[in-house]
This record gives sequence, C-alpha cells and structure tokens, in this order.
Amino acid sequence: MYTLLHGFYKYIIQKDEYFVLILGLDNAGKTTYLEAAKTKFTKKYIAMNPSRITTTVGLNIGKIDVDGVRLNFWDLGGQLELQSLWDKYYAECHAVIYIVDSSDRDRVSESKETFDRMIASEHLSGVPLLVLANKQDIPDCMGVHTVKPIFNQNAHLIGARDIMLMATSALTGDGVDEGIRWLVDCIKRNSVDRPPRNHDDNI
Amino acid sequence: MGGLFSYFRGLLGAREMRILILGLDGAGKTTILYKLQVGEVVTTIPTIGFNVEQVTYKNLKFQVWDLGGQTSIRPYWRCYYGNTDAIIYVVDSADRDRIGISKDELVHMLREEELSNAILVVLANKQDMAGCLTVAEVHQALGLDALRDRTFQIFKTSAVRGEGLDQAMDWLSNALQARK
Repeated sequence: MYTLLHGFYKYIIQKDEYFVLILGLDNAGKTTYLEAAKTKFTKKYIAMNPSRITTTVGLNIGKIDVDGVRLNFWDLGGQLELQSLWDKYYAECHAVIYIVDSSDRDRVSESKETFDRMIASEHLSGVPLLVLANKQDIPDCMGVHTVKPIFNQNAHLIGARDIMLMATSALTGDGVDEGIRWLVDCIKRNSVDRPPRNHDDNI
Repeated sequence: MGGLFSYFRGLLGAREMRILILGLDGAGKTTILYKLQVGEVVTTIPTIGFNVEQVTYKNLKFQVWDLGGQTSIRPYWRCYYGNTDAIIYVVDSADRDRIGISKDELVHMLREEELSNAILVVLANKQDMAGCLTVAEVHQALGLDALRDRTFQIFKTSAVRGEGLDQAMDWLSNALQARK
C-alpha cells in the first residue's frame, strides 16, 4: 500500500526532465549565462560573482524548474581543443544554447564555423537551437541585426528544427528569461522525437 | 532574515571544508598537499596511510587529506569518504600506461553514494614532462564525458614548479562557496 501511494505521489510531483547544452567559443559567456539562468529561476540562489568565473575546462551543471519542466544544463568548455568533447553530449541533449560574444568582431566568423560544425552532427538533428548574441551590455557591440544574418546562412544544415537568435546580456540578466521560455516551448513540442528523461531512469 | 544570518555566519568563517586528494601512487598527491600548505616542494616518500593538513587559502579553511595511492591501500579510500566537500583527483599526465587504471579507480570512486555531492577537481599533473597528455586527452582517457550530474574542472598542473595550483584552488573555493 505504501509503495502504491508513494508511487502515486511521485507520479504527481514528478517533472519531465530535459537536458540543455550550453556551447560556444571560449570567453563567450557560457558559465556567466548559466549563473544568470540559475539566478533568474531559482529562489534565493546566490550567483557566483561574475568576476570570479574562470575558463571552464570540464563541466558545470545547473538545474532549474520552468513552466512545469525541469531543465538540466551542461555548460562545457569552449576552447578549441575541448570542442572535440562536445559531441559526446549531443545524443542525450534536448536543446542547445549557442552563445556568441557580440563584442568580439574578430572571432565571429570562427564562432560561425564552430556553429556549423556543431549543427552538422546527425546526433543533433531536430534539436531546437537558441543562439544568443551575448554581451549586449558592452557599448559598440554587434546588435541582433548584424549577428542574425551571419548565423542564418546554411539553411540546409539548420533544416526544419526550431531556431531563434536573441540578444542577451548574461551579465545583467537581460534576455535570459525570454530565451529560456522560448526554448522550453520548443523542447515540449519536440518531445515526441526527444522524449524527456524520467528521474528514476538510469543512464 | 535567514539570509542575513547566514551572511554573517559566512563572515565569521564557516566550517572547515573537507577535501580528499586521491589518485594513483606516484601521481604527486603529497607534493601537491605540501605545496599548498607550506608553498614549497618537499621531498616525499610513497605515502602509506595518509597525511592530513589544514590549508588556508584566501580566508577559506580546508582540511586536506592526502591518502596513499598504492594498489594495496586504495580499498581504504572509502573509509574517508563521509562528509567530503570536494575531491582533488591527481593524474600523472606523463604515465600513459596507467591512465586506464586511474580511470577505473575514478569511476569506481564516483559511484559512491557518500560522494554524490562532492565537487571534483582533476589535476593533470606533471605537465612539465615531455610528451604528457593534454587536457582534452586526460578528459577522454578518464571517461569524464560520462559524468552528467556533477560539476568538475580539469587543471594542468606541475606541482614541482607550482604551476596551475593557484588556479585550481581559486576555482575550487569559488565552487564550494557557490554551492553553499
């Protein structure tokens, strides 16, 4: 009887779990973005001081609850030699947030090439993509109108998946909320193809 | 109000963080411990048993346990797992032959329930040696891509030269504070 009730209780409170990759070149602001997302969606969360965030060589994780689902973030290192590790996570993720440093004009083409390599992976086909033109707080950075045409090329690689390009500032938190809510809608729509992982499932 | 309390408690110095330094024998664990504590490279002999020292880094107090890494004493690591806040896992980046064994020990260790909340720092040590593994190679060789629910970070270090340890401790103290 207890098992039955307990099972029912768990069924009621259980949230669908989805996994979101945060990718982009090094120094694009991925970890800062993760901290901003945690701050926005977790009550009483005290974010790490952005000035103390260092280059990631490894993995940062985060969990947030939004609109009835739980998002688990995987924030990976973006340095060139670490990009070869990204594809290990592709098959299991439900969405990708790709972060671009809008203030770094010199590397935007490198970022675009990395982006193309990423979306060409068959393991990511159909996965919703949120591209963020980050660091909008920096004066003189590229706006959405400049970044969008760059990333909208190669329609054949993007295919029929959901894709959105938004302006954000992970530092001030602007645009974080809208982006994640858009992504959650897409993930839910796409859940027929990429079903959520239940908490009790073992990997 | 509660937030205010915990803020002041934080100022007064919270409890000591408990950190384990683990890894195969000869990886450089004891050298790292004493480099952190006294800032010098000491001559070490293979540790049988453990060394424990209090290390203060930027006003944070750590109780650091360095456990012997030889095959026969690795089974005893688990006796120390309780209440551990972080694990510093040291890898000899120049020892390509035994990186597989190092991986197995790491995987085995991370399965332990008692360590499920511990933060992991991997030190790719001995980066001063020629032909050593790069960070990406260490990542792959240790199978770290299989870790999906734990924050971790890899650092290149050379304990004898004292390189990389500051960055690692910096990151670790931030990660520990953020987790509170």
